[in-house]
Amino acid sequence: MAFGDVGAALVAWFLYPGFLFLFVCAWAFEWFDRSTIARSQARVGPPWFQPLADLIKLFAKEDLMPAGTKEILAAGLPMLSLASSLTAVLYVPIAGRAALSFEGDLIVVLFLLSLPALCYFLAGRVTGGVYSLLGGNRSLLQYFSYEVPFMIALSGPAILGGSWSIAQIAQHQDATGWGLLVQPLGFLLAIVGLIGKLKRDPLDIPKAKSEMVAGSLTEYSGRKLALWHLAMNVQAVVGIFLLVNAFMGGQSFHHPLLNGVGFALRSLLIVFALSGSSVLYARLRIDQLANLGWRVLAPLGLLQILVILGIGR
Amino acid sequence: MRRITIPIGPQHPLLKEPVSFLLDVEGEQVLDSVLRLGYVHRGIERLAQERSYVQIVHLVERVCGICSHVHTTTYCKAVESLMGLEVPERGVYLRALLCELERIHSHMLWLGVLAMNMGFDTVFMYAWRDREIVLDMMEDLSGGRVSHAVNIIGGVRIDLDEEQRKDMLARLAQLEQQVHRAKDVVEHERSLRARTEGIGILTPEQAKQYCVVGPVARASGLDMDLRRDMPHLPYSELDFEVITHDAGDVWARTLVRVLETVESVRLCRQILENLPDGPVSVRAKRRAPEGEAVTRTEAPRGEVIYYVRGDGSESPARLKIRTPTLTTLITLPEQLRNVAVADVSVVLSGVDLCIACADR
Amino acid sequence: MTARRDSAVDLPHYDASAIEQQVVPALQEAFPDDIEDVRAMPVDETVVMVSVAGLREIVGHLVEVLNVPHLSTITGQEVDGGVDLLYHFWHGSGLTLRVLLPLDALEIATVTDIIPGAAFYEREIVEMLGVTFVGHQDPLRLFLPDDWDGPPPLRKERS
Repeated sequence: MAFGDVGAALVAWFLYPGFLFLFVCAWAFEWFDRSTIARSQARVGPPWFQPLADLIKLFAKEDLMPAGTKEILAAGLPMLSLASSLTAVLYVPIAGRAALSFEGDLIVVLFLLSLPALCYFLAGRVTGGVYSLLGGNRSLLQYFSYEVPFMIALSGPAILGGSWSIAQIAQHQDATGWGLLVQPLGFLLAIVGLIGKLKRDPLDIPKAKSEMVAGSLTEYSGRKLALWHLAMNVQAVVGIFLLVNAFMGGQSFHHPLLNGVGFALRSLLIVFALSGSSVLYARLRIDQLANLGWRVLAPLGLLQILVILGIGR
Repeated sequence: MRRITIPIGPQHPLLKEPVSFLLDVEGEQVLDSVLRLGYVHRGIERLAQERSYVQIVHLVERVCGICSHVHTTTYCKAVESLMGLEVPERGVYLRALLCELERIHSHMLWLGVLAMNMGFDTVFMYAWRDREIVLDMMEDLSGGRVSHAVNIIGGVRIDLDEEQRKDMLARLAQLEQQVHRAKDVVEHERSLRARTEGIGILTPEQAKQYCVVGPVARASGLDMDLRRDMPHLPYSELDFEVITHDAGDVWARTLVRVLETVESVRLCRQILENLPDGPVSVRAKRRAPEGEAVTRTEAPRGEVIYYVRGDGSESPARLKIRTPTLTTLITLPEQLRNVAVADVSVVLSGVDLCIACADR
Repeated sequence: MTARRDSAVDLPHYDASAIEQQVVPALQEAFPDDIEDVRAMPVDETVVMVSVAGLREIVGHLVEVLNVPHLSTITGQEVDGGVDLLYHFWHGSGLTLRVLLPLDALEIATVTDIIPGAAFYEREIVEMLGVTFVGHQDPLRLFLPDDWDGPPPLRKERS
């Protein structure tokens, strides 16, 4: 392996679009999210450095675990979450260019983005305690309700674009225009699926503060909790990038900087959609979500696929 | 599925005050619950036996933070009956004004807490922002936002001049607008209704048997409101409606409280516009003669009852307080039976617990 | 859907004079031996002195026949000669049933099977005054801490 290859790989892993880039994006995501929610609620919102300050503060706190917890598992799960998102981003085109790409990488990315949900469930089991166990159980129930509609929704762009590679799907929209104009229903379902995946209001059922204290993460504190926060924010960013490519893909300009700005603006649109939905509704109950997922969302997703297949004919 | 015990309290993000519910849960269903009280029992009735009548006004205000004025009003009424004093009309009207302002404050605070416990932070933020208007009015009136110390035996210690009265009416208009907005949200927001409808049902029969009072009773169809049923000033001269509902669930309680807030704003306006002239208090002696008195008042959560027995000295021989939260606490194991775990927070928020009141 | 104003339960419309003019004479007629004294108390209260043995039946009669179901609370206090229990009812105006338990026989029948809402009030009197309510299902500590081992707080021997 040439030295250049190793160098390129290292840059991809740690700088762009890897760890450092995602870290900055996660920071920006959290700030935009909290500011939008605050302004909608007649508040002001945090200063720009707040997410970083929170992370630093968490790192400095004491890291206590209940007796009998296997530390290595408890620490490994957030790391696995973070690592899966970091790996997934390599296949997601950012401003038109993906670090790696192959036919079928959409499936791989979907799998990698669902690993954090499994880790979250296991975290509840590993740390024990009533609230952790119950929060973990609920997260698994929630997973089954949103994951199927999410996957169906994301198959739509693949069928339209004629490929299971995200880069190809995005490129296809160069010619046809934004995917969401043709499949708005699919886009909506993908957003709902993303809200469930990220466990945000109104689907923050597993970690509902008034019921489950903090769900699976009740017993976490200090550095491990900081890792979890980072992992969840990074997962959010990668999910948003995926949605931008699948539904608002294509390069609008032929200049890398303008492309970057366009990409950032489109990502911000999705962030506002997520923040807005968390402000507007009360939290759903788990059975209401299961009802919604299987009786409404999944059938709508199948309907959307049928429409797309019909258009294709 | 295995049965587990979920402890709600004494410390829990859901509860504002310490109380303990041990829920017996199987899967997502609550089978039974055990209630434990007494975490904030301060022995106020016992303390009152060693304090003078004047000191007890101060003591009794601290039974509860949010309905403090109602407690001092009821106590002062009891002692005034013992001593045979009659509070001048203006004093009675000012007492009622603060009672109604407190009712608005309590209901708005409660709406925010219910919304927050349902994950609806936005309603919480807006309700508590509008609550600031009420707190500013109460501060203008008495000097304190939450603890007023307005009542003395024989009347009140504050008065309103013409400029203050006009200023309060202007603020009341602003408050009225916000309260109507809150009413619109509650009546039309579907996710809020979906989370509260059909949860925590108390049938009218159960409400009657458990002697429930206040908005919880009215939401179960019992038409009881001491402001209308007791023929005393100033309510006998004011025009307002008693809100009832017949569903008996948390949604009904929400509607009742929000509509009651609208009525309270109307009452405040009537009181401010028809404030009689005259003194605000009469002088009271330090000793009460031998005798007993029972008084009742409609607090934000229902009927508050005080019993005072004087033995001719400066200190009462017995002071008995029963607060409305105690009547709703006793119904909670019934309401929590066969409820989903996710709905526990809604049920507990729906009854508007004030544990400090219940424990004294 | 806005709140409706009609009440569906057979809780009677309150009439301030009902207690004095209808309920008390009805009680006196039904229980001539158990009612010992009737007098007025401020504010809006009528106090009826009742024998210890007759209290339970009178409460049953009040709730089931005369339709006065709302028990506000039960006050207990130590007086010369025993413990005084006051059962405060409300029906447009107040009706208080008073019993005097002698110090050597601090026992009375429970009313929780007639009025389930009385459970907490009786429990409080059990722990604060040392009275026994015969037939109460659940006389556990309510407000006092579990490890309280002193005498009942509202009894005079404390001071």
